[in-house]
Amino acid sequence: MKVPISWLKEYVDIDLPVEELAERLALTGTAVERISHVGLPAAGGNLDRFVVGRVVSIEPHPNADRLALCRVETGPETAQIVCGTRNFREGDRTAVCLPGGMLPDGRRLEAAEIRGVRSEGMMCSESELGLAAKSAGIMILPEDAPVGARLADYLPVSDEVLELEITPNRPDCLSVYGVAREVAAVTGARLKAAPVRDIKPRGDDNIEELVNISVSGPDLCPRYGARLIAGVRIGPSPAWLKARLIAAGLRPVNNVVDITNYVMWTLGEPMHAFDLAGIAGRQLTARSAVKGEEITTIDGVRRRLAPGMPVIADGEKPVAIAGIMGGRDSEVAAGSTDILLEAANFDGRSIMEASMALSLRSESSTRFEKGLDQELVLQALAMASRLITMIAGGRLVPGQYDIQAKPFEAGVIHLRPHRVAALLGAEVPAAEIRTILTKLGFKVKKEGAGLHAGVPSFRADVEREVDLVEEVARVFGLQLIPPSLPSGMRAMGGLSWEQACRRRLVQMLAGRGLNEVITYSFIGLDFADRLRLGESDIRRDAARLANPLSAEQSQMRTLMLPSLLMTVSANLAQRNFDVNIFEVGRVYYPVKGERLCDERETVAGCLCSFLQGQSWRGNTRGPDFFTGKGLVEALFKELAGSCSVRRTKEPFLHPGKAADIIVSGSRIGYVGEVHPLVLRAFDIDRPVVAFELFLGELIASSSEIAVFEDLINFPASFQDIAVVVDEDTPAAEIIAVVREAGAPLLHNVRVFDFFTGSQVGPGKKSIALNLEFRSPQRTLTDAEVDSARALIVRALDERLKASLRL
Amino acid sequence: MNVDLKEQLKQHSGLAAIYDEALADIAAAAAEVELGAARVRHLGRKSRLSRLLRAIPEMPASERPLAGKLGNQVRAALEEELVVRWQALESAELEKRLEQERVDITLPGEPLAGGRMHLITQTLWEIEDIFTGLGYRIAEGPEVETDYYNFTALNTPEGHPARSLHDTFFIKGKEGVLLRTHTSPVQVRVMEKEDPPVYVIIPGRVYRRDSDATHTPMFHQVEGLAVDEHITMADLKGTLESFAKAMFGAERQVRLRPHFFPFTEPSVEVDVSCMICGGKGCRSCKHSGWLEILGAGLVDPNVFGFVNYNPDEISGFAFGMGVERIAMLKHGVTDLRMFYDNDLRFIKQF
Repeated sequence: MKVPISWLKEYVDIDLPVEELAERLALTGTAVERISHVGLPAAGGNLDRFVVGRVVSIEPHPNADRLALCRVETGPETAQIVCGTRNFREGDRTAVCLPGGMLPDGRRLEAAEIRGVRSEGMMCSESELGLAAKSAGIMILPEDAPVGARLADYLPVSDEVLELEITPNRPDCLSVYGVAREVAAVTGARLKAAPVRDIKPRGDDNIEELVNISVSGPDLCPRYGARLIAGVRIGPSPAWLKARLIAAGLRPVNNVVDITNYVMWTLGEPMHAFDLAGIAGRQLTARSAVKGEEITTIDGVRRRLAPGMPVIADGEKPVAIAGIMGGRDSEVAAGSTDILLEAANFDGRSIMEASMALSLRSESSTRFEKGLDQELVLQALAMASRLITMIAGGRLVPGQYDIQAKPFEAGVIHLRPHRVAALLGAEVPAAEIRTILTKLGFKVKKEGAGLHAGVPSFRADVEREVDLVEEVARVFGLQLIPPSLPSGMRAMGGLSWEQACRRRLVQMLAGRGLNEVITYSFIGLDFADRLRLGESDIRRDAARLANPLSAEQSQMRTLMLPSLLMTVSANLAQRNFDVNIFEVGRVYYPVKGERLCDERETVAGCLCSFLQGQSWRGNTRGPDFFTGKGLVEALFKELAGSCSVRRTKEPFLHPGKAADIIVSGSRIGYVGEVHPLVLRAFDIDRPVVAFELFLGELIASSSEIAVFEDLINFPASFQDIAVVVDEDTPAAEIIAVVREAGAPLLHNVRVFDFFTGSQVGPGKKSIALNLEFRSPQRTLTDAEVDSARALIVRALDERLKASLRL
Repeated sequence: MNVDLKEQLKQHSGLAAIYDEALADIAAAAAEVELGAARVRHLGRKSRLSRLLRAIPEMPASERPLAGKLGNQVRAALEEELVVRWQALESAELEKRLEQERVDITLPGEPLAGGRMHLITQTLWEIEDIFTGLGYRIAEGPEVETDYYNFTALNTPEGHPARSLHDTFFIKGKEGVLLRTHTSPVQVRVMEKEDPPVYVIIPGRVYRRDSDATHTPMFHQVEGLAVDEHITMADLKGTLESFAKAMFGAERQVRLRPHFFPFTEPSVEVDVSCMICGGKGCRSCKHSGWLEILGAGLVDPNVFGFVNYNPDEISGFAFGMGVERIAMLKHGVTDLRMFYDNDLRFIKQF
């Protein structure tokens, strides 16, 4: 909302510097986006260089046919000015720029010789003064313009403009007068009366005889007011009106349209002017559009209307989309003489829905959609009638329409002063509360210890006691409230066990050399095919967005892998080759019969480079399946949990170098090398090892409290064995047999060597184990250890046909 | 050198000569090998000392005690002298070897494995730690949410623009199911489950249908909620002041500006004094000296109505901040989208 200061000052007596006013507004709830300047630059006395002049004489230029040599009275002096146009006569008042004056576009005028004759100034056109985009000839001022006076004192040709951000609960401030009321309340300045004094109609006809207006559907249109002004002359608006509209960011059109806009900007009530000649059957109805109706709006666009959209229709068709934009057929233009003025109140919700459905927003719709004050209807008609008859001539036809379903009734709210203190944590004196509310337009009455506040029609946002507390607080000044901390704090803060575990895992992965990424939770529709998921894979069944921004972000992910592979791919394309990344995020599974998804917190990673950075001391090994598995094991170890593995059927992994991760019999994720075809689908030219684990299950597998076991006082005894088994016997099976046979003295088993090949013969492999025997109660004897070892060797032989390598 | 022994040896010129000669040899040994040779020469079986000691039984009885005592003392003294000399030689040789092993200490160290946490995570943790220190717990909730929790129960009326397909992502085929646009719905879920007092913060991902230089369709928020008897605007101000000072530096100031949100009344926007210019005014703060960091207010009584809290018995405040904005202000990041490009050159900076 742009509010030119000179316009604002018409309604409120303020002399604060504009920066201070802006600060005061900002701290009381009206955000100021910026303070801008329009029109002539004001600095350096520039405004003194622009005066009202009177043309004394016009003579031909001695050396140029197309130029005129004028003498122009500019006060006590008379200036000789060479002029290129001739649209004025002797005696006309004009706007004169004296030498040294700077125009809005930054050009500075100096006295000069023009074709051998000295010119001591310039008579300005409207466009040169910033009052119009283009203009023909210089601007002629009205005869009452005082010759020699500063132009800026006569016309608003130079102004500061407050650009305000009005919150949606305050449509009353989408008007200069509403802002003036707010300024008066927050600065203590005096508010003047609204410019809504009515005029007397003339003539012995009546609007009701000339046009028939009705409202069908008071829900869409709670109030409809109309007046008729006959015999106007359409033409350009006077300079002061144009200057104001331009300063407010509006485009001048013609006098009648400009006045409706001026009234809207002043009071906040959008108006519309119809050319009565364009209204078929001399009748208007405010109603809902019916199927198939169309309208060409004043911007020249043909629009199809949907049932439910509020329209104003004449005897044949819609002539305006109510509250949004008028129709071209009844537009006021040159030649219009009889004007039907509309000021109405339309239902905010209906206007907003229609405006969104049509993708058509206007200054009018942005006001109506917030819900306007019904009392503005007659005020706007009065103000517009006065201005139109004054500027465009014509007479106000007797009578008016004012169709209202239900008259406005002021609400009354009881305010208890102790509630103000209880909510703010600061005392506001009762007298100050009364002053603040009165200044804001509330009708305040003392009532016992508290007060009754009658809510003005323009403050429909105030409904409850707490709303009044807010009004008091913001004007009183939030900066006067002393800071404190909640006094009754008796809760204990901190992270839950799960939250603490999640942090540990993140830190552990970063500590191991992975960089954390955060990717979008949505993925593209094609992810399932790129991952080679089977037709019946449930992860194809993702939650889809009804209104995605793009196909790549059209559904919620059911796997982390595609997001990470895209990140790998993007980094490789940027020549970031050391890509080892992880993410903690959610996957989203739709649940049949449920509205919400099953959201699973997941930790996932991708490795495609040395975890330890490249060193001048030579290479380390790149990541492979066992690197990934080592990381997964480290994740479990971090939380003192454990897992087992099973061959995986995941279609996006290497069939031989990948595993499912199992915790208490259920699968909670995978680790493995990514399938080469999947890598190709993501434009990745090197091997990638990936893992993905459900965090909840990972954390649930952990033990919260570690229990002491004596590893110090009774030393362990170590034994190595190497066994040869069939090549397809899994190491895990060998270890399981060893553990079972070695119980209870066998404390730990570590694989320290593994090989296949000619040394052990075809179809065989050798695996070497380091066995740790210990007892928490005593030091073991050699005999005890030997017999435990013998049991292990026998079990390996009997159950796995394993032979001992010596 | 043993001075006592020297004195006593004046009584036995033969031993005195042996002793002096051996000491000189030991002192002259420049390497362990030479020292070994000296040992053989002076203490070995064929040495003069050994021979002399072996010959004691044949000496006249009057000479024997002195010769035996002094002979053994000379042997012990020489043994000791050898050890001392040997240690000195060894340590000299070690020093020499170590000197030869010197490396270019300016070469880079072993590049141990080490990655970085995403700046958003670091910032989130920092915020979480400040509030857990103030006594808050961390609550979490679903990202795919119903319009009831995301809007209705937060006093956002039907027909509010935020509820439109234009602003909010909706789930296909499920009426009124959407991606949460803030973490505030978790407030409602917490209050439904628990009685006051409630002190929680709610970090998490949120989604809005917007994508340009200053908006990403997904971003992070931390919401805070305090509900108790006698919670006031002053408490909100003090809490956020504590937060701002902990996050941005002890010299930071906080100011509240009245604003409007559907779920709080009164509502405020919160500014912190500009950390770049110290409040004097610069480009970052648009010459105002203040930077907006979050929105807040007292919980609207209507919200309490939805969770059956009695607004006459309790009150509360709520605040919500964008984690990206906090991180950008604190670290001078100029492009929001970099957070989600996940370029490692960006991630490793922090």
